[in-house]
Amino acid sequence: MANRLIKYFFIGLLLFPFAFLLLLSLGRGWAYPDVLPQHWTVENWRFIWGIQAGLGRSALLSLSISLGIAGPVTLASFVVSKFIAYDRHRRRWLVLAYLPYVFAPVILAACLQGFFLRAELSGKVWGVMVAQLFITFPYGVIFFSGFWNEHMLAMEQLVATLGGTVRQAYARVLIPIARGALMTCFFQVFLISWFEYGLTTLIGVGKVQTLTLKVFQYVTEANIFYAALASCLLVMPPVVLLWLNKKYVFSRVG
Amino acid sequence: MVVKSRSQAAHQRLCISERALGHNVTFHPATCDVLTFDVSTCDVQTFRAMKPHYAKYLALGLFLALAVLPLLAGLGYVLAYSLGLVGFRSAGLTLVHWEAVLGSTFFWRTLAFSAYVAVMTIGLAVGAALWMVVTRPQAFLQGSLSLFIYFPLSIPAIVMAFFVFQMLSGGGLLSRIGYQLGLMEGLEQFPGLVNDTWGIGIITAHFLMAAPFFVILFANLYDNEKLAALVQLARTLGANPRQAAWRVAAPVLLQRAFAAIVLYGLFVMGAYEAPLLLGSQSQQMVSVLTIQKLQRFNLADIPQAYVISVAYAVLVLTLAVWLLGRGKRGDAR
Repeated sequence: MANRLIKYFFIGLLLFPFAFLLLLSLGRGWAYPDVLPQHWTVENWRFIWGIQAGLGRSALLSLSISLGIAGPVTLASFVVSKFIAYDRHRRRWLVLAYLPYVFAPVILAACLQGFFLRAELSGKVWGVMVAQLFITFPYGVIFFSGFWNEHMLAMEQLVATLGGTVRQAYARVLIPIARGALMTCFFQVFLISWFEYGLTTLIGVGKVQTLTLKVFQYVTEANIFYAALASCLLVMPPVVLLWLNKKYVFSRVG
Repeated sequence: MVVKSRSQAAHQRLCISERALGHNVTFHPATCDVLTFDVSTCDVQTFRAMKPHYAKYLALGLFLALAVLPLLAGLGYVLAYSLGLVGFRSAGLTLVHWEAVLGSTFFWRTLAFSAYVAVMTIGLAVGAALWMVVTRPQAFLQGSLSLFIYFPLSIPAIVMAFFVFQMLSGGGLLSRIGYQLGLMEGLEQFPGLVNDTWGIGIITAHFLMAAPFFVILFANLYDNEKLAALVQLARTLGANPRQAAWRVAAPVLLQRAFAAIVLYGLFVMGAYEAPLLLGSQSQQMVSVLTIQKLQRFNLADIPQAYVISVAYAVLVLTLAVWLLGRGKRGDAR
């Protein structure tokens, strides 16, 4: 009984941030020392599609950037990681893939800002997408490096031995086997792009207003209800994906 | 096993590999068509030799262009900028910006503070996660907790920072509850837990994100390394539950997760969002200081921002190589 209570308490703790943000997004007027907001309304949520706020537009922009990054990065990193995994210097290549993460994406963006300014990509959606490629693509390569093993090599050998072309090997054997891993990588790359703030701020110079920028904007404006609303929109897709099937979202490639 | 090869492309590849490596392939003397090919002689090296090289070079070129070149170009540019070789107001080679940054106490305090936040966060998160997994390993591998433990991973850093601010600030939920319970008479009596010099807010935000991550990591390792059997063996040999958990399971988990712990620590050290919302002006983290210097109206600050970027890059790369090298030596032992 005590164990069960502890478990439910722990689950409550894990879910508390979501409940708190949702409550705050439905509130208005939260004067000190009230524990809960004085008024409850769905008006904040109607605000999403308000012309002035552009929260809906930000959500669509974030969605477009993340989907635009996740698809090509997943496919490209799937193919490139194969050559890296089978290369004799595999370990060295993978160390290089870790560098953007060790280095901190926002500092990487600071170093690259000059190039983006010269290329006139600064402050543009395309620029932000290119910059996000530099952190998502190495992630995809690291992700798939565990997928390419001796078993996959043997499968490919078998296809070649039986007269299959490289294209057939991908279409008929490798991609069907890797479907789960491809889905997982797609969602994870989507989330990296969806959650990205520092690099987007710097390369987008505040003009590319993704949802993460909106959260920060509302927080600095001390508009906690809209900040909570934007936060809810930000955490909703990953939570829905998780609820549908956790193995496709966060599980690692076996 | 001997198989017959049919497609023209496969014939050509096999002929090439046969010529290059002398494997057991028979082919028509006039047309060069492969008649039979002994698969048992075709090892990994043969298969690698058969791969079209242009595809490999294209793939590695793409990797270099997207993963390595931006980093090197960026570092090269900021190094040149910091030395006065390029950029607005560049006046030839100078070490003045380097001297200004490296001679400033604030820079070293910033680095030390970043390292302190990383060490505290990782220490607390790894400690808590290890305690949870070694005392109740099955709880995170099956049942509802194994699903709900993933939920905090869906909260981005900026949202977690906002949540922590709404919890721990003077006007936050904890302060309000404290007032309602009669523990204090006003928000001014609530201790400063955000925007404070000790980075309590930053550490809390990162702890809330890191602890579930390490719980999942340790639980998976516990399962993959079959530690339940090892713990059982230790118990059979006379260890009590505490000894089995902390002297058998915990060291294995820590050793196997060492690289992930180091990388997560370096990630926290370079964190930007949480320190931006929860940090203080007098005690900054390195990413915040860099971006602040970069975005100021004072153009003389830009080379200094780049000096910090280069110095930080050198520091974290050295740390990563040293720590991961130590971990590898530990594994070998």
